Amino acid sequence: MRLTTAAMMAMMAMALPLSGGASAAEHTVVLHHMELDKIEGEMRVGDVVAFDNRSDMAHNLYLTYSDGTVDNLDTQVPGVTRSLTLRVAGPAVIRCWIHPIIKSEFVILDGKEDAGR
Amino acid sequence: MTESRFFILLAFAIVLTVGTAAGVAPRSPVGSSIVGSVSASPGVYVPEELKVKYRRPDEIPAPPSNPLTPEKVELGKTLFFDPRLSRTGSVSCASCHHPGFDWSDGLKRGVGVTGVPLPRRTPTVLNAAWLSALMWDGRAASLEQQAVLPITAEHEMGLELDEAVANVQAIKGYAPLFEAAYPGEGIRAETMLGALASFQRTLVSGEAPFDRWINGDEAAISEAAKRGFLVFNEAGRCSKCHSSWRFTDDSFHDIGLESEDLGRGEFAPPSVVIMQHAFKTPTLRDFRLSGPYMHDGSMASLDEVIDHYEDGGKKRPSLSPEMQAVTLSAQERADLIAYLKTLQGAPLDVPMPRLP
Repeated sequence: MRLTTAAMMAMMAMALPLSGGASAAEHTVVLHHMELDKIEGEMRVGDVVAFDNRSDMAHNLYLTYSDGTVDNLDTQVPGVTRSLTLRVAGPAVIRCWIHPIIKSEFVILDGKEDAGR
Repeated sequence: MTESRFFILLAFAIVLTVGTAAGVAPRSPVGSSIVGSVSASPGVYVPEELKVKYRRPDEIPAPPSNPLTPEKVELGKTLFFDPRLSRTGSVSCASCHHPGFDWSDGLKRGVGVTGVPLPRRTPTVLNAAWLSALMWDGRAASLEQQAVLPITAEHEMGLELDEAVANVQAIKGYAPLFEAAYPGEGIRAETMLGALASFQRTLVSGEAPFDRWINGDEAAISEAAKRGFLVFNEAGRCSKCHSSWRFTDDSFHDIGLESEDLGRGEFAPPSVVIMQHAFKTPTLRDFRLSGPYMHDGSMASLDEVIDHYEDGGKKRPSLSPEMQAVTLSAQERADLIAYLKTLQGAPLDVPMPRLP
C-alpha cells in the first residue's frame, strides 16, 4: 500500500503530542488539612496539575505565575479535585484564599525543553 | 544559647509566673499526650486525642529577619504606648489595644484621631506572633507589615509613615533605645516597625483554666464546661474554624452576617466568590465576656452569637461551606458558654513604660 505524503504527515501529526514535541505530563497534588503535598518532579508549561482535596474542609487554591498573572481553582469542598494547565514558565506559588497558611512554591520549566522527555 | 532563644524562654517564664501568681500550676510540656486514653473525669468522656489539639506551644515564633531581643521588646513597648505616633498626639496603639480590655478596646467599632467610627471592631493583639495573615481581611502578612497600617490610616492614627518616623527622631530619649535594639541602624521606619512587631509578639495569653484542664488538672474546669468542650467540637461545629490552641484557623470565612463590607473579597478577584464578606476567624482566648462580638461588633451577647450559628447565617454564594445551621438544646448552649468562659487567662504583667 502506498501512502501519499499528505497522508503520512497527517498520521505523524496524530502521533505527536500537542506541544513541543512531547506529551504534557499530569501531576496530582494532595491537600491534607492545611497542607499541600510537596510538589516534586519537573513541572513544565502545558502540564496539567490536579489538586485533590482529601482534607475535611473547603479550599480555594490559586496559582500565581512569575509574570503576576493568576489562575484560580474555585472552591473545592472535601473530596473534590480541580485541575489547571500550567501556562507560564518561571517561579510559581500556590496559595489558598481561605487559608493563607497554605503555600507551596515551585518552578515551572519551559514546555519547549521537554523534547527529550 | 542565642539571645533570641533566651528571650523566648524568658517571655514564657513571665507568662508562667503570671499564672503561678494566680494560683496556676505550670503546664506539662507539649508532646506528653496519652493518645487514646480516657479523661479521669467521672461524668464526661473526653478523648485525650481531642484535648491534645489545643495544647499550647513552647516557643514564640519570630522571623529570622527580626529575631526577638529584650531590647527590641522594650523599645517596641515604649512606641506602642506613645501617642506621639498619631497626628493629634493623643492616640497610641494601646488606645485601641488596651491591656485593660484584653488588648482590644471593648467598643463596637474603634475610634481614632478623627473620632469617626472605624468600619470594624478592634481585634485583640494577643497571640499575634502566630498569625499568618493580619487584619480582619488579611491584607498584612506579618506584624512588621501590619504595624504601619494603623499609623497611616486616616481615621486611626493619621500620619504618613515618614511623619511618624520624624516625630520619633525628634524625641531625644528614643536614640539610645533604638541604638540598643538595632545597633547602628538608626531611627528608621524599618526599625520602628520591627520593634513594634517584636513587642506584640511577646503578648501571649496567660494560662487559662482550660489549659490546666488540658494538662491534666481535672478540677480546673467544671463538668458543664467539659460537656461544653464537646459541644464546641461536635454539635456546635465551632471547632471547624475556631481550631488550634488559639481557637482560630487563621483563615477567612463568610459567616453570613448582614453587611456590605466585602472583607477579604476586596483583595480577591471577583471570581473568587468565596472570599466576599469573608473575615479572619478571631481567636477566642481572652475574648471580652461583655462583648461586643463579630468583626463589626454587631452582636452584644454570647447568646446572640449562638443564635446566629444556629440560624446558619445569610444564605448567599459566598457563605462558607463550614457554616451549617446547628441545633443546640438549652443544656448544650449553657454548657458551651460555661466552656467558653474557661478560656480567660490571667492578665499579663506588662508595666506601663515611661515615655522618653
